[in-house]
Amino acid sequence: MRLINSLAVILNDKCTGCKICSQVCPTLAITMEPVPGTKHKKLAVVEEENCTGCTACEQRCPFDAIEMTNLEESRMIGVDISLSNYEEVQKICYDAHLHPEQIVCYCTSTRADEVAAAILQGADTPDKISQRTGLRTGCTVECLQPAIRMLKSAGIELEAPKGRYQWYGETPTIWSIPDEVKEKYSKRGFHFDEDIEFLEKLRNAPLSSATCQLQVKGEEK
Amino acid sequence: MYPAPIKPLNPRPSRYGIDPSLVKNRFAELPEMTSLMLNELFPDVPDVIYPSSEGIYSIRRHAEAALEKVDLSMIQPNHTVNILASHHGFTLLGGEPYAELLKTVYDVVKQRTGAREVRLRAGVGLRFRETEEYIKRFELNKHFDRARGMAPIDEGIPIETEIGTLYGLKWTYDATWIIHVHNSDVREVHFHRQVDRAVKPFGMSYARIETRSTYHQNLGPRGANFTARAIFESEFVQSKFVGAVFLNMSPSGVISVEADNDLYKINDVITLSGLRHYGKVFQLLGEIDECIVGLDFPCPVPYVFSAGVIYCNFVGANCDLFDLDERLAPYTWYAEAMYGRDGKPLVSDVKPVNPAIKMVVHNYAWIGYPSAFFSQQVPTLVVGKEQADLFEHDSQNIEYMKYAMVADNLHDSMNFAYKTTGTDKVIVFDGAVGGINVSRSLADHLMEVAPSVSDKVDNILMPKWLKQRGILVNA
Repeated sequence: MRLINSLAVILNDKCTGCKICSQVCPTLAITMEPVPGTKHKKLAVVEEENCTGCTACEQRCPFDAIEMTNLEESRMIGVDISLSNYEEVQKICYDAHLHPEQIVCYCTSTRADEVAAAILQGADTPDKISQRTGLRTGCTVECLQPAIRMLKSAGIELEAPKGRYQWYGETPTIWSIPDEVKEKYSKRGFHFDEDIEFLEKLRNAPLSSATCQLQVKGEEK
Repeated sequence: MYPAPIKPLNPRPSRYGIDPSLVKNRFAELPEMTSLMLNELFPDVPDVIYPSSEGIYSIRRHAEAALEKVDLSMIQPNHTVNILASHHGFTLLGGEPYAELLKTVYDVVKQRTGAREVRLRAGVGLRFRETEEYIKRFELNKHFDRARGMAPIDEGIPIETEIGTLYGLKWTYDATWIIHVHNSDVREVHFHRQVDRAVKPFGMSYARIETRSTYHQNLGPRGANFTARAIFESEFVQSKFVGAVFLNMSPSGVISVEADNDLYKINDVITLSGLRHYGKVFQLLGEIDECIVGLDFPCPVPYVFSAGVIYCNFVGANCDLFDLDERLAPYTWYAEAMYGRDGKPLVSDVKPVNPAIKMVVHNYAWIGYPSAFFSQQVPTLVVGKEQADLFEHDSQNIEYMKYAMVADNLHDSMNFAYKTTGTDKVIVFDGAVGGINVSRSLADHLMEVAPSVSDKVDNILMPKWLKQRGILVNA
């Protein structure tokens, strides 16, 4: 769940149509639209419904052509986990080496099970996950990979968007580091195998009572 | 007779903090506060080259001397050079030493190589405009042929490494050569665990979101910083790497300027130096049994610092963060991830945050870093409704004020904190230079325990920490 209380606003007199804002927006809320009466000119347009107020566009605009404004009425976005089969949710998380309750976005406190539920409810790209859960709409930096790992464990093949750089793709994990690399650096203070063991322990930890209640609620539906 | 508190850095105008005029009072002005100099606590603190009577010229002089032994012969007049910088350096000692170091590196490279274009590329963390602010403040745009801030969401390039594809920022690598200019302040020891400290920016401020997310989500609490080494050792980065220049820091100031074509030589020097000089302060702060914490510095909540220790590491000071047998710091993102929906840790290995912290009074700190964990874990009072409003509308801190309370002013906040916690011990994270601002009661306590802390670090902990990192020291 993510509270949304601000919105990006384009200042048309400053916008040059450079597209950078649309290339970095994690929820694809900005498109470049033709300006009526001009031949080629396009300006950025914010689709308010998908804007989470993350400021990525405003902080990267080279022309200071975007302002953040506080919403008079805030709104919530989020995925109702109880609408998904929790066993399927758990399987996606498990295969991605995550505990379902693990926090995967430190800004929004989004948990792995909400992301998995979003995938089961049709979010098949990192951008759609962000639109529905709010993941990657805080700092917009640190939580890309869990989303990609979960999409992969759900069997979804990803193709990075062309001409934009919201995300490029999958990266290595601790489970994919070759043994010879681990051996090569074992004396320098890195603890790969012990960290794997620790993360496995987390993955296999029982659910909290709060999540068990959610699970029951879902079964009743 | 207790000495007066050290005057802290003034509030800075920034989009990430409240207007400086709204910071009405500072902790250092409170009557019960005093200061402890680090050389009183630990007589063996190293000599510093800055601050010094020579002023900022000392940084230039030492940098020029250190750069003399660095081979720049590969840089030809028709080449371009990117001097790589990171935001953290500008928060040390007011930022001037780091800015002067960058300017000196530029001057030396230009003079010795005649390179066509020498640019500044300054990376950030999660505040994408931060180095743009520093570039203007220190007029780096006037000194360099070009200067720009770069953010992790800017366009990237794939980098093939021995563990697979990672991604760097295109702006980092769009020159013939790169020079890595950084500092040794241990800072986020909860993330890097003082393993490959010198290499970290290759996995952070010079890197794309994919790489940063790999660091914080795909590896583990004691393997994360390998992301940086993987990138640095790639054929691509090595083909551009000239060398590195570092401000070698201690909690009391700059010890030296280190420069070398071999980053790992610098890494060994600063690892040792960091363990030795910061280790004692970490251990000392870990001896505090109860206290009120004051946040009072122009930085995001976890990064405000006291005697070189950032606040979030005081939150973990009930653990020895340098000890690699400690698998998880009480505060690190891997730990934060492990709190379940009911607010309790999912596994028993997650240690509680430092129980000595009874209350936090947030007088002045910035947004731009996810900080809700801190107000969730420790009772927090935020001074001023403007500051509360700033946090409430920060996309990284939507929940910070959900757990914190708002107070009208610092004096009332402290009266409330004294009354409700029952302690009069106060430690202030205000970046005081050369020492630490504390209440008189805490000053007495720290002076009493400092000698035994010093002995423990010298005789027990240092040998252990070094062995864990494969560093052999003869003396």
